[in-house]
Amino acid sequence: MKKYIIERMKSLFIVLVGITIITFLLGLITPGDPAELSLSRGGNYSPTSEQIEQRREEMGLNKPVYIQYLDWIKGVLKGDFGESYSSNESVSEMIRRKLPITVKLALYSIGITSFLGISLGIISAIYKDTLIDGSINLMNNIMLSLPNFWLALLFILFFSEILGWLPTSGNGGWKHMLMPAFSLSLVTIATTARVMRSSMIQEFGKQYYLALKSKGISKFNLYIRNILPNSILPILTLLANFMGSILGGSAVIETIFALPGIGSYAIESIYLKDFPYLQAYVLITGFVFVLVTTLIDIVSIIIDPKIRIGADSYEN
Amino acid sequence: MLNMFNKKSLRIFLLLALVLSLTLTGCQNNNEVLDESSTEEAVNETIQVVDEDETIVLAGKRHLAPGEEDGYYCSSILYVWEPLIRQGKNGEPLPSLAEDWEMSEDGKEWIFKLREGVTFHDGQVFNADAVIANFDRMSLGIKPSSYYPLDIDSHYPGLVSYEKIDDYNIKLVFDESKPTQLYRMINWGSAIYSPENFDEEGNFNGIAMGTGPFKIVDNQKDDYVLLERYEDYWGESAKAKSIKVRSIPDVDTRYSALKAGEIHGTLDLDSLTPALAEELKKDDNFLIAESKSTMIRFLVTNGELEPFNDIRLKEAISLALNRQDIVDIVYFGYGSPTTNILNYSTPFYKEYPVEENMERAKELAKEVLGEERLETEFLINGNDPTQKTEAELIAPWLAEIGIDVTIQPMEYSVLRERLKEGDFGFARLQQGLSNGEPSTIFRRFMLTSGDHNKNYSLGYDIEEVNNLMESANKELDVNNLETIYDKVQELSTTTYPVFPLFNDVNIMGYSNKLSNYNAELYGLELPEVEWTK
Repeated sequence: MKKYIIERMKSLFIVLVGITIITFLLGLITPGDPAELSLSRGGNYSPTSEQIEQRREEMGLNKPVYIQYLDWIKGVLKGDFGESYSSNESVSEMIRRKLPITVKLALYSIGITSFLGISLGIISAIYKDTLIDGSINLMNNIMLSLPNFWLALLFILFFSEILGWLPTSGNGGWKHMLMPAFSLSLVTIATTARVMRSSMIQEFGKQYYLALKSKGISKFNLYIRNILPNSILPILTLLANFMGSILGGSAVIETIFALPGIGSYAIESIYLKDFPYLQAYVLITGFVFVLVTTLIDIVSIIIDPKIRIGADSYEN
Repeated sequence: MLNMFNKKSLRIFLLLALVLSLTLTGCQNNNEVLDESSTEEAVNETIQVVDEDETIVLAGKRHLAPGEEDGYYCSSILYVWEPLIRQGKNGEPLPSLAEDWEMSEDGKEWIFKLREGVTFHDGQVFNADAVIANFDRMSLGIKPSSYYPLDIDSHYPGLVSYEKIDDYNIKLVFDESKPTQLYRMINWGSAIYSPENFDEEGNFNGIAMGTGPFKIVDNQKDDYVLLERYEDYWGESAKAKSIKVRSIPDVDTRYSALKAGEIHGTLDLDSLTPALAEELKKDDNFLIAESKSTMIRFLVTNGELEPFNDIRLKEAISLALNRQDIVDIVYFGYGSPTTNILNYSTPFYKEYPVEENMERAKELAKEVLGEERLETEFLINGNDPTQKTEAELIAPWLAEIGIDVTIQPMEYSVLRERLKEGDFGFARLQQGLSNGEPSTIFRRFMLTSGDHNKNYSLGYDIEEVNNLMESANKELDVNNLETIYDKVQELSTTTYPVFPLFNDVNIMGYSNKLSNYNAELYGLELPEVEWTK
């Protein structure tokens, strides 16, 4: 088990180094001069050639590429991601300010997805092939087919503009998080519900289910205490992937709801070629994604003895 | 078992349906009740006493106080800092922290008399030492900004020295005459902060401490900035006690926030799209404020390539463009069609007739192209959806004169690269005017050596323009200079360095709960904004 974890940590390190190199190279091969873009602000101002050259020098862009990369890596190892090309602000400071907002959004979304996705999946499985199951399936299909940015705008229209129940935007208490979290969660609620349903239905065909049922134990004991633990594993993996995708893909939702998280500036940083921020963003989201996946693998091993046997083979 | 579930499920479903229908009915009834009582509520609203101390909430698409590392810390529209020279309603220079000035006979020396009795928000006294500290800071190098780069060479080209004469007089010395220096110093060109406000690198060491009618009391980056009235302001105090300016990047969300009453007005560039402004106009609770923008939108052609370097084809293109249609159809009338390269916010701007004549355009194009058709690419910024609509409107007009364009949306940085390499036929660009001095625009676009002329592959080379701009360099009399600038503008409308389309309009929406929401060239008169009494 220990060896398995060490192996996963090694691969985590390799993945992260790979991410930094690829991000850095992608920044180099894409057209556009970061120095000019940092001054021109998307074309609203046209800097002179002298201004651009002076800015290039300040940004260290005239140094050889490998020196730029090594300088950056040295800084990262000390927790310093450099300064934003666009705002000159410390990227570490920007991330420190923005990351908690995105993590909060991710946790709300995970919470909503877990509760609704698992609940709907269980109900759907228990009431398999009934009207309830059909209704939930129909609802899932609708949720899967709706783009989240469109839903977000609809939510704002109904719950804020028409009903006035929730704030349209901004960073605040739980009320500010409901619409963004639901917008992000709907697709995964549907996916989770489907996976949960099929996972539970698989368990219904097993001997232990029939044995327990014939003993006449309560439905709660049967479904929640016995079937659920055996069918929850695929959901854990799904939620881990979801966590990663929120951190990496919440940009549009953060922008619509004016949540100043790490994603909201990510898109702008691509346009502005703000590589120090972009590299930090990719590195952090990549790190969290790989870390969460690894943690879920470890939790899976703890929960499921069959996987533990596979992991134990590392010991031999 | 399944049967039992089916019966049970049917019961649960019916129960849910009943609850849902009751809820919906309840909602409907509530709405009806609300409708019935709406008149009474409206009456109550009209007799409500306005709490003048309540914070006014406004919103823009970007955070207006980017902070310590920004050259200006915050936008001028927050009225936190003040310049030496401010801009009048017609773009003319007016006294602000400098109450008077004097130019030497040779135009190389400028003396500014500073206003007395002014204090910064941190209690420091405004005087010559404070101004010199700000020049020292500018001398450290370019400071990037979300607005315009803080660059001493751009605002004070050829500055040889700056010195304190006495506590309330400073002198600037230039290497050659600068009769229009005041225009370069307007607003962004002469922003002044407390001398204690900078660190060693010239960045701000905390919240910006200006002399303006508002001071910043809280700045949550990318979220909001909270302004409070500065009670020791030297001029007329701001009317609102506090104003919160939020950052809501998405225009649809901003619009919804306004309609929902979360914010009371929008401000800054692109605060509302023309379409949303038209929508807002339908609601009696909201109003629209408009002002001239410093932004001009234009087309460029690859003047280094044949046949685009033929003046007849250039004229044909200009005549084929129905600029009024572009403004009316794409921008709902929010814009001012122009053929002048100079933005209409500067007092040097001269109005020229905007001609559209497709028959003449066809004749001219035929003289150049004959019976052949020209196929080329039309590059647009893919991040601006209105550019695609514009291009789709323009493409058929070009087709009528024998030019078939393929519209290519792309990232702005890629577009700039393509322009530099001369790998395009048409492209859509825009340009802001950072101050009222127009020579920068003429030099960059129209001089043979101009950087935009080269970087946009304009291929513009008119000897008369070079000579006129050279004589402008030596001219001391502003009236004579104006005559030169008029001539250059006129040449721009007949020799086509670019194809100006229209000057922008700033559009802002606000609730009728606010008064004096007067739009300015850039932003609004924030100190005048107050709750409607």
